[in-house]
Amino acid sequence: MRLAALTLSGINLVSLNDYRLSLKRTILAAEAELVVLPAYSSLLLAFSCGRFNEIPTFKELLKIMPILVEQWNEEFINLHSDLASELGIYLVPGTYLENDNKKIYHSSCCFEPDGKISAVQRQTHLNREEREAGYSRGEELALFNVGKLKAGLLIGGDARHPETGRLLALRGADLVLHCAAYEAGLNCWTQAAGIWAQVQQNQFWAVEAPLCAKLADRTFAAAPIIHGPCEITPEKSGYLCRRYPGDSYAAGNTSEAARQALKKRYPLLGLLNPRAYASLNRTPKKEREQA
Amino acid sequence: MILNRLKENLFQRYLVWIFRPARLRRYLKRELPRLSRPLPVTEGTTRVTALQVDLELYKNPLDYADQVHRRVKEAHRLGAQIVVFPEYNNLPLLGMLPGVDELDSKESRPGAAERAAISPADIFTFMTPAVMPFIDSLFSMLAGAYRIYIMAGSYPLADGKDLVNRAFLYGPGGELLGSQDKVHLLPMEMEWKMKRGSCFKSVKTSVGHMAMPVCMDATYFETFRLLETDGVDIALLPIANLEEYNYWLALRGIWPRVQESALYGVKSALVGTAAGFTFSGKAGIFAPLELTPHHNGVLAEAENPFGEAIVTADLDLKALHELRRNHPWRDTNPAIVKSLGEVYRMF
Repeated sequence: MRLAALTLSGINLVSLNDYRLSLKRTILAAEAELVVLPAYSSLLLAFSCGRFNEIPTFKELLKIMPILVEQWNEEFINLHSDLASELGIYLVPGTYLENDNKKIYHSSCCFEPDGKISAVQRQTHLNREEREAGYSRGEELALFNVGKLKAGLLIGGDARHPETGRLLALRGADLVLHCAAYEAGLNCWTQAAGIWAQVQQNQFWAVEAPLCAKLADRTFAAAPIIHGPCEITPEKSGYLCRRYPGDSYAAGNTSEAARQALKKRYPLLGLLNPRAYASLNRTPKKEREQA
Repeated sequence: MILNRLKENLFQRYLVWIFRPARLRRYLKRELPRLSRPLPVTEGTTRVTALQVDLELYKNPLDYADQVHRRVKEAHRLGAQIVVFPEYNNLPLLGMLPGVDELDSKESRPGAAERAAISPADIFTFMTPAVMPFIDSLFSMLAGAYRIYIMAGSYPLADGKDLVNRAFLYGPGGELLGSQDKVHLLPMEMEWKMKRGSCFKSVKTSVGHMAMPVCMDATYFETFRLLETDGVDIALLPIANLEEYNYWLALRGIWPRVQESALYGVKSALVGTAAGFTFSGKAGIFAPLELTPHHNGVLAEAENPFGEAIVTADLDLKALHELRRNHPWRDTNPAIVKSLGEVYRMF
């Protein structure tokens, strides 16, 4: 299966129509069956299309955006649904904010090639800034079909929390789709500590689509990557395809036969020792002491 | 058959005699310093040394003791409060067995099939009664003499009828502070019918709260989550990787684990070829990205994955505790933890 991670770098964001045409060109160039867009895509598009009267800071954007979501989300979802069905691809449109019962979630979804939504996923782990903005955590990890593969979705900092990947892998995920956003800087190690590490300890594929754009006063940049287990990637690097931060996309072809052969030869999950994990759901000792 | 058993018994008695701790104590007594106090401690900072040990077979246990002593002495000279030895640290003593040198050769020779029919598990079990009292005396004496903590590496050994891969930690009084059986085994060790550990233990000391997971244990995030939950500051990890060195394959162990769970990680590696085994790896000292000067998670690392090396770094325990208290991105989701617990139970 050919997978692509887009960064939105170089995409025309002046209007929804320009965005759609520009995004379509990039997706066609990637020639992928599944395309993943980065985190904060909805926020970036709303911001760039002039949906905010004043240019606030990124922190303020996180707080203002939920007010707009009801009318904006419909436009955002419809646009990507149409694009998925027009191109006949699986499409993860990046992330958007949703209001549900007075709670705000940072969410994503996956469109099937007919434009229907196959799964919705809420971010399950929030960083300090997201907690301060009043967001709530999703409490489940969805598993859905992408062709013959089982896939899961991770958003932002979820990828730095290995419980997410392990839960998906033990439920049978073959592929994890990660909508990411890293503040510009030296991010190669942050990325390796996130979804790369999850891929290596769970032996699934992953598509890491990080945002490369300026959003209010904050600049985001990192490398788009298609990950795989080290043993079945070039130079045993774990990178099926890794491009530079600022490149518009990375794309790569997976070989499921090679992955299944590896899992048979070196069954990492089969060597887990769950009896030793009885105390995993305890609160860390230092946190208990502070409490 | 009877003759073979007789030969086996006689050889085992010979090993017990040649490895006898009394002989070692007499030998080391002449060599060891008489230090009255441990190295001065900077509050909140711990200096650690990780060894990269080039595998060499010894025909005399005292030569092995000399090499271990030399490394501890060097670590002490560098000001280390903790020194860490690698996994399979008794492999060099297989040199005591007749015919082991020949296992290096890939040529097939008469008798090779018979030798191969003896599993490594049988060899380690056979050597345990002789070797382990010697190992215990050696590391106890060195830790006591230099007044430092020594994680003596790990040893495949017989515990009753079970074969286990066990790591040992000695304190600056020469006392055995704790041991840890490897919890996650390699497929090869499963084939040997090795028994895996059922839990992770930790030891609180004046230089930090320590634990000693073994090699493959660092492949799984669960290990370091459990240690962090228990309040561990420093994970001392002995490794012996049976593969050719590759940067990315080597990165998959302790490095991502100290990123996921905020701990310091000290990795000691066995390298080189002997007795038919080839090992690779770099000794290193690792920390969360936020606590390393180049934001790369590495405090110190051996330059090469082959040959002997010694790496030392200072661990800032105050900074680690502060990071844990005020972490910029870590979060806990009880619903996800609960779901994972349910999946483990079905596993």
